[in-house]
Amino acid sequence: MKPDPAKVLETVSMMLIMEFVPQLGSSYAQQALAGSATILAVARDEIDRAAARRIEENRALRRLFATAREVVTDTDLAARLTEAAAGEEGSLLVSDLDTSNQGLRGLLVRLHEHVEALRGDAARRLEAAIWDELRASTERRKTILGNF
Amino acid sequence: MELAARLEAYVVSRLPQAQRVTVTKLDRIFGGGSRETYRFVVDYREDGRDVSRPLILRRDPPASLIETERRIEFAAYKAFHGTRVPVPEPLWLEEDPRHLDHPFFIMEEITGCEASPMKLTGPPWDAHLAKIGRQKWTILGEIAKADPDALGLTGVMPAVTPETAWRHELEHWLRDLDHDELEPQPITRAAIRWLWRNPPPPAQRITVVHADYRTGNFLVDEAGTIRGILDWELAHLGDPLEDLAWGINRVWCWNRDDRAGGLLPKAEAIRLWEAASGLRADPAALRWWELFSCVKGQAIWLSAAREYHDGTNHDSILALAAWMQCNSQDRATLELLGHLG
Repeated sequence: MKPDPAKVLETVSMMLIMEFVPQLGSSYAQQALAGSATILAVARDEIDRAAARRIEENRALRRLFATAREVVTDTDLAARLTEAAAGEEGSLLVSDLDTSNQGLRGLLVRLHEHVEALRGDAARRLEAAIWDELRASTERRKTILGNF
Repeated sequence: MELAARLEAYVVSRLPQAQRVTVTKLDRIFGGGSRETYRFVVDYREDGRDVSRPLILRRDPPASLIETERRIEFAAYKAFHGTRVPVPEPLWLEEDPRHLDHPFFIMEEITGCEASPMKLTGPPWDAHLAKIGRQKWTILGEIAKADPDALGLTGVMPAVTPETAWRHELEHWLRDLDHDELEPQPITRAAIRWLWRNPPPPAQRITVVHADYRTGNFLVDEAGTIRGILDWELAHLGDPLEDLAWGINRVWCWNRDDRAGGLLPKAEAIRLWEAASGLRADPAALRWWELFSCVKGQAIWLSAAREYHDGTNHDSILALAAWMQCNSQDRATLELLGHLG
């Protein structure tokens, strides 16, 4: 699509703030429309990175699960990790990538809880790797809005 | 009938001695995810003189960022009005929806002030940030020092004990989080497990907890004086460290540096609060409440996301709040757990 959807969102957002917000009579309407314009600006950034962020994260989680199989003591969890580690994206639609991501992140919650209860160096190394991935996940999700 | 006319009819009913009552300049205020807030002016004649009062209407919306109890909020304003904790004077609480479709209350408007953290970080307020910070943490200490029984709030707010206050709050916000999360939250879930494994010591005493005491929820005049503490909708009895921890949470660092609330270094904020409250902020206990604040914050942002996602409330502030805060809250959690790097 040309013009690019991202460009269109950026332009509409700017037009709303520069041209339409000042014409509104009430401060509530001004701030509500400015808020909506900000949403469009953030959505523009998110559209651009949405697929890349999910693909990168899903790959990172599958790699983590592949190494985790050797550490976990719960056979059901080990089987789920094996299956997830071998998984591939069936589609590159953002909605499909998101469904995969949610499944993988849900499995990560279960893995993390399990590993916390295990003893030994291997468990601690895996736990550290989980924290590394969680920290990386917040880098991937940074927006222009956040204070921290 | 439009809102202004219905509001005028209500005000007339509450001012039976007044003549020529009119409501004008009704204008909705943006923000505030838990109530619809409007300012308006009521003019009337009483005892041979003309009166003009700027007032605030706080009305329950169909769905909100935070499910809250307006009766408790109104009681908190009443309790603190006229004390060393500045609040606007509350006037009327109305829970009958026939007047304005939803329950509401009306209070005095404190004029000539600003609350928005975006504006407080700019002129003329940015010249007074340290002064604002000193008042902010001292007033919070005054809230912690106040006797809830003497304020008449123990009959309104549910009772808790020093031993159970933390559990009561954690369970409350977990219910919201479990209900509202739209996707897995591995960082918050790890924090919750840590909180259960490492319970805090009993509260030093049970006090009124404002529960949303942060930059953005108080009014500041252009000389940098705090004139009113707002948004008491989450107020309850509990551990006073809950308020201190919430106020110094990283997500409120509006200047994007280390100053708590965008105002003062965290250590100074804690020192001021201790001096005003007469209480001690035990570092281990405070850390528990700081991490709890991250879980509570995430529950609120996820609730905002849920409301917008489900279409029960289309206010853009809900989407903005979720987009602005969810990831920052996760990073704040990682920092407290020592995993931000």
